Amino acid sequence: MTAAATNFTATQLMLIKFLGTPIFGICLSILVFLLGQWLFKIGKGFFLFQPLFVGMVLGIFVLWCIAQIFKVTPAFVFTSLYWPGGNILFWFLNPATIAFAIPLYKRNDIVKKYWFEIFISLIIGLIISLFLIFYVSKALGLNNPAIASLLPQAATTVIAMAISGAIGGTPAVTAMACILNAVLIYALANWLLKIFRLKEPIGAGLGLGTAGHTVGSAKALQLGSIQGAMAAIAVVIISIVVDLVVPTFAQLMGIMK
Amino acid sequence: MADKAKDVQSKDAEEKKPETKEAPILIQMGIFAAVLFVSSLISPLFPKSFPVPTPVIGLIILYFLLTLHIVKVEWVDKFGTFMIGFIAFLFVPSGIQLTASLDILAGLNGVKLIIAIILATVILLVVVAYTTSFIFWIDKKVFHREIKASENVEDHK
Repeated sequence: MTAAATNFTATQLMLIKFLGTPIFGICLSILVFLLGQWLFKIGKGFFLFQPLFVGMVLGIFVLWCIAQIFKVTPAFVFTSLYWPGGNILFWFLNPATIAFAIPLYKRNDIVKKYWFEIFISLIIGLIISLFLIFYVSKALGLNNPAIASLLPQAATTVIAMAISGAIGGTPAVTAMACILNAVLIYALANWLLKIFRLKEPIGAGLGLGTAGHTVGSAKALQLGSIQGAMAAIAVVIISIVVDLVVPTFAQLMGIMK
Repeated sequence: MADKAKDVQSKDAEEKKPETKEAPILIQMGIFAAVLFVSSLISPLFPKSFPVPTPVIGLIILYFLLTLHIVKVEWVDKFGTFMIGFIAFLFVPSGIQLTASLDILAGLNGVKLIIAIILATVILLVVVAYTTSFIFWIDKKVFHREIKASENVEDHK
């Protein structure tokens, strides 16, 4: 940041002076999320009014508006104005993630009894998913770098981005996929579980953890303790499985350069 | 939905209260901080090609501390439950992060990409869930193992 500071225009410097403090990002995040919660209440739980989804869309919209009003790029508004505060909240995802050890421990009975089935299910489930994702992406006409970016999305963002880069994808696209996974699962989980009749708690939990990462695990925990524990274990195991399987898969399908 | 989750959590808390004593919140935070600190020291030891992020290591460490009864669950339960209940809000900055990559989403390619991501999300959820059910079905048919998991879940609802 400091190296680029000299290139800022007067407007940008003025914006940084007034909005570049952490409190702007924190306030904006709280405000949009509260608005989302309010809309969710008013809309009687309509799935598009999920607080997280509304918060994300409104937040992006506000930042985009600021960019348009002051004639700067959205990327500048995000990195220089929002992220100082956003980053503070973002950091708290670390303790929130390790907190999933608790629901996992509480259902240790199931982990100890079925660890082998869980592991096998995640490996086979991921391989089948990779084929489907590959062919769906092909059918949509995406090019190889885009497909390579989508394959590792079941892993945690940091791991997924590293694999994406290694197999010729764009890490930024992968990060976006991981974020959208979480938002989508949080918004649609109940509905998806219903229409696909996923009643079996272990399967639903593993699915939610794989598709929705930690946010999906939080959702799974709302459904029951088994779902929560299974989602938590899926988040950890699937990252390792992705790390082992995806590079080989990419090579096999000829995506890798 | 949020109310329902609160009900479940408060019910859990009520059940546990008579048996156990929870640690003061600052001690609970201290345990979390210590685990995170140790994980952040371990994380850089992994090679760049095989990264293991700090929170994942932390989750594994805390799980083993709990399983080996070095840390009692009531020492971390309240703060952990609080953090998990908070996770949707904590994810808002990540969502807003997409502002920085709005240019990727622009145009026909962006629309295709979003459709592919939506489908991939559904695929991952449904395929993993069905695969698990199938594996358990084989388990039951071939190895005659009883699955009692679904019964337990009723207690928690």
